[in-house]
Amino acid sequence: MNWASCAGLLAGRTAVVTGASGGVGRGIARALALAGAQVVVAARSPAGGGETVDLITAEGGQALFIATDVGDAAAVSRMVEQAVAAFGGLDIVVHNASSTQGRPTPLEEITEALWAEQAAVSLDALHHLAHAALPHLKNTGRGRFLVLSSAQGQHGGAMNPAYTALKSAQRGFVKALAREWGPHDIVVNALAPAALTDAAREYLESDPERTREAMKSFPLGRMGDMRDDIGPAAVAMCSDLWRYVTGQTVNVDGGYYTAL
Amino acid sequence: MTAETPLAGRTALIVELGLPLLGGMAEGLEDAGAAVAALRDPDVMGGVMGDAEAIRAALNDLLGETVPALVVLSLLGEASTVIRPVEQTDIDSWRAAAIEPIRTAMRLLTVLGERMKPAGEGAVVFLAPSLSLVGGAGLVGLCTMLEGQRGLMKSVARQWGASGVTVNWAAAAPRALSSHFDAADLAAKGDAVPIALGRRPDARREIAGLASWLAGPAGRGVTGATLMMDGGEWMVP
Repeated sequence: MNWASCAGLLAGRTAVVTGASGGVGRGIARALALAGAQVVVAARSPAGGGETVDLITAEGGQALFIATDVGDAAAVSRMVEQAVAAFGGLDIVVHNASSTQGRPTPLEEITEALWAEQAAVSLDALHHLAHAALPHLKNTGRGRFLVLSSAQGQHGGAMNPAYTALKSAQRGFVKALAREWGPHDIVVNALAPAALTDAAREYLESDPERTREAMKSFPLGRMGDMRDDIGPAAVAMCSDLWRYVTGQTVNVDGGYYTAL
Repeated sequence: MTAETPLAGRTALIVELGLPLLGGMAEGLEDAGAAVAALRDPDVMGGVMGDAEAIRAALNDLLGETVPALVVLSLLGEASTVIRPVEQTDIDSWRAAAIEPIRTAMRLLTVLGERMKPAGEGAVVFLAPSLSLVGGAGLVGLCTMLEGQRGLMKSVARQWGASGVTVNWAAAAPRALSSHFDAADLAAKGDAVPIALGRRPDARREIAGLASWLAGPAGRGVTGATLMMDGGEWMVP
């Protein structure tokens, strides 16, 4: 990835990325910083969040970790206010945080506790973030609200109905909020990645034959690097380049899901 | 059984929560030959649907040992249909509008699966307004919830496919289903012919007809699908 092509695209803008203490969130946070944004790493883990800040700093960017439980309205509100105080405004919200309890679970085995935990991180958090961020995003022409969804929310995952329902619900949220916030000049979209996370890498590396079979689903023959494949798409969607695209789900997945 | 009566001698179950959308459905399913049972008591909605065991008991009371050939679901809790901007929605209202009806659908499908999957056939059809596919200002909670239910439908269609039970989604123009949506600022197709057929669907003949068809022999190969009964407004995909 030649990051020079993204240099300055987000200069002077402040972005909050939830769940950025690792994985896709970290990759997107690094990418936004490489494009010039000041990044707030909003996550529960101080250790992981600190590592993300260190990586961004080492790459010449500017970042701040704020400990945040996105299912807690007060914590989200406090995080947004701290972000504004630290960087002078807020332009971009990326909601990437996802439940750590999201293992495949058949319909009949979904417990109330499992559902509540996943729904809090996926959907309560959208409500909290929208409330806290709206005053800062509206009528600047730079307001972006990006939600990390999943192709599973589009094609349905047989053994993960809770995750599928929540990721599909996030797409409904994006479509409706794009219409509601369009008059405020705020762009609202979803990004559905196929990222080579540590968990995906571990799963695939445990069985080379399984990896060969799995990669047949990807026309590009590989899953995406979190910073260098998923990140640039997020940068573009949060920049002026995509200011006329709203209410959409963009699959950044090497061609994995091509059905409309 | 004929093409006109694909449900002759069979039982169809209607479950309707919150905003009534299924006017004409019972009559239409009877036209298709079905014996119709309905679960739509508001008290049942508020109390029983919060607990799988209570849903199980309510269905046992209603159906006995009978396995329905068709189940039509409309699960729009009252909170989901309130029209207001998301920033004016408190967290309890948000959960009631956007989240709890998805969980209700999970509980209901779990219990229905126990009854339908061993029988090796049957159709579940969600009926909903089409607005969640295009989004609606003032309806963020409703759109979130409906797309959540629609995603769940796809997942369960995959999980249950081998059992022979199909699960599908039928979407109709919101104002064709309820006058409640007259007050909403709905997306509309800007075109010289915004709705190809130029009219709303007939609930008894056409919406119930689609559900009956999905449960009949000709519809058994359709599952996980979203079928737009909007007269050709959005023409998705």
